[in-house]
Amino acid sequence: MLDAVRAEALKLRRHRATWLMVWIYPIAFTLIIGGVLLYGLFAAHGPAGPPQPAAEWIQDSTMLWKVPTSAPGRFLIAGFAAVVFAGEYGWNTWKLIIPARTRWQLIAAKWAVTLGFLVIALVAADLITLLGGWLGSLQDGQLPAGVTLAAVAEAHWKAGTHALLPIIYTIAFAGLFAILTQSILATVILSIAMVVIEGMLPLIAIFFHGYAPALTSWLVKVLPLYHMANLNAWAKGGAAIPFGPNEILSLSWTTSFWALTAWIVAAGLGTQLRFLRQDLN
Amino acid sequence: MPTSEPSGTPALELRALGKTYGRGARGKRAVDDVSLSVRHGEVYGFLGPNGAGKSTTIRMALGLIRPSDGEVRLFGQPVSDKHALRRVGSLVDGGTFYPFLSGRDNLRVLARTQGHDGARIEAVLERVDLARDARRKVKGYSTGMKQRLGVAAALLDDPDLVILDEPANGLDAAGIQDMRNLLRGLAADGKAVFLSSHLLHEVEQICDRVAIVHKGKLLREATVRDLLDHGQALRVEAEPLDAAETALQGKWPVQRVQDGLSVQAPRADAPAIVRQLVEAGTDVFRVGPDDQSLEEIFLTMTRDTDA
Ligand SMILES: Nc1ncnc2c1ncn2[C@@H]1O[C@H](COP(=O)(O)OP(=O)(O)OP(=O)(O)O)[C@@H](O)[C@H]1O
Ligand SMILES: [Mg+2]
Repeated sequence: MLDAVRAEALKLRRHRATWLMVWIYPIAFTLIIGGVLLYGLFAAHGPAGPPQPAAEWIQDSTMLWKVPTSAPGRFLIAGFAAVVFAGEYGWNTWKLIIPARTRWQLIAAKWAVTLGFLVIALVAADLITLLGGWLGSLQDGQLPAGVTLAAVAEAHWKAGTHALLPIIYTIAFAGLFAILTQSILATVILSIAMVVIEGMLPLIAIFFHGYAPALTSWLVKVLPLYHMANLNAWAKGGAAIPFGPNEILSLSWTTSFWALTAWIVAAGLGTQLRFLRQDLN
Repeated sequence: MPTSEPSGTPALELRALGKTYGRGARGKRAVDDVSLSVRHGEVYGFLGPNGAGKSTTIRMALGLIRPSDGEVRLFGQPVSDKHALRRVGSLVDGGTFYPFLSGRDNLRVLARTQGHDGARIEAVLERVDLARDARRKVKGYSTGMKQRLGVAAALLDDPDLVILDEPANGLDAAGIQDMRNLLRGLAADGKAVFLSSHLLHEVEQICDRVAIVHKGKLLREATVRDLLDHGQALRVEAEPLDAAETALQGKWPVQRVQDGLSVQAPRADAPAIVRQLVEAGTDVFRVGPDDQSLEEIFLTMTRDTDA
């Protein structure tokens, strides 16, 4: 299995899509932060403002993790997953590798590499952001009191692990779309449609709630959108978000975690079962 | 040659293999009841015109598509057995590769997928004469180079069975010659080779046995020698041709061809044929070996079933 992952990594590490949609994170953050720091070096310093509270400073330093859970971030993830999973159809290369390994391992290797590359890129970008923030504070004076390594590490660990599930969720569905449509473009379109529709669901829910309140609130509970938002809310503030116009839906972090996990497992199983039976002409 | 299976187990065995694309009325029967077996140490040709079902059969043998009926056995094991499939090297569609990787990196990816470190990569590149171009991206390869890289990929894991779909496609004369030597060399090493082609003369010199398929059905399986013997014929040019044909009919299988008659008979029968023709009062211009190649036999055979 490790060999399958290594083969996949070898294939993709220098692919253009990987540069554009994965390695872009550390590169872009380095450029932006480098630019800001340079500007800080040469720009005239105004009077120092009130020092930022430590908690806020730490929270700000984790901003990177908002990117992969945002709509544009999810488009990037889905785009990369589309190339990883559907690329083999376009390049006609399933024929090369399928006789060499069991099909489920080939798919599992793709999940591992998509997630692995993204995590590497995001962690690198996160560290760059943190370093940048630290240097920036030194430029302006000093770090706010109370910013300790332990507190920073804890906040980043929390933000990172909370972003993980939405990332995996996006990969799982993009992978499923790729195996079903066998096309990079179709996968990207479906993934974008999914994110857009998810974004509109609150409106749709409010609209339909008037007609079928029971069904609507059931759907809200079952579909992944609320759970994604809920996990994000928990990650940020440590509280559930209410949902629904009249009825207040407020589920625990664990409920949403398991609901989303169930969706991911379902998408993963669907991908495997479909691929297992697929004819590759 | 590994001896994990009982000796005499064919490397490849197709049992009543069938494939229907699509369902119901729109279903297309691409392969129908094909049974054959390929032994170690032989080169087996799978011949048929375009659309005969060669590629479909080969894809089933490689586990790329699922048979609708029957089964494929590799070294006595079902094709789902990964250990069996791992002993098979294959070339389909003229070599399919990652266009954005170099030839060598493509082989590296394949080696890793197969679960080894590719110690043989340089050797197989050398063997197909691609060592010099191995650093270039496959995107820029010519058809023949891709085909050769495909052969390198097929040989990468030192397979016991090599399955090639139209290996001669896109190769020039020298390339075909190289391919022939390479495949004969594999067979001499005790490996089994199964290849498809739509051009009989290509495989005439490479294969020990051939199966002729047409419209998904296996028409005939024979050694190349048997097929050629079967195809032994004399070309007769005589006037009037109708009278000549009538005179010979019943004694030998006779067929009208462009400028005379093709008579299914060995060379030894030539004097008897001349006698027959003279007795029938026809003028004989020529009786000689009919240069009917396997190609023509093959054409006749596949044309007959079109009716
Ligand atoms: N994916 C598919 N869906 C439907 N029909 C198909 C499919 N693939 C092949 N066929 C049909 O099955 C038949 C056999 O095709 P196949 O590709 O196996 O022939 P072939 O012998 O390899 O021909 P060629 O010499 O042209 O490569 C053809 O009639 C073809 O149209
Ligand atoms: Mg074909």
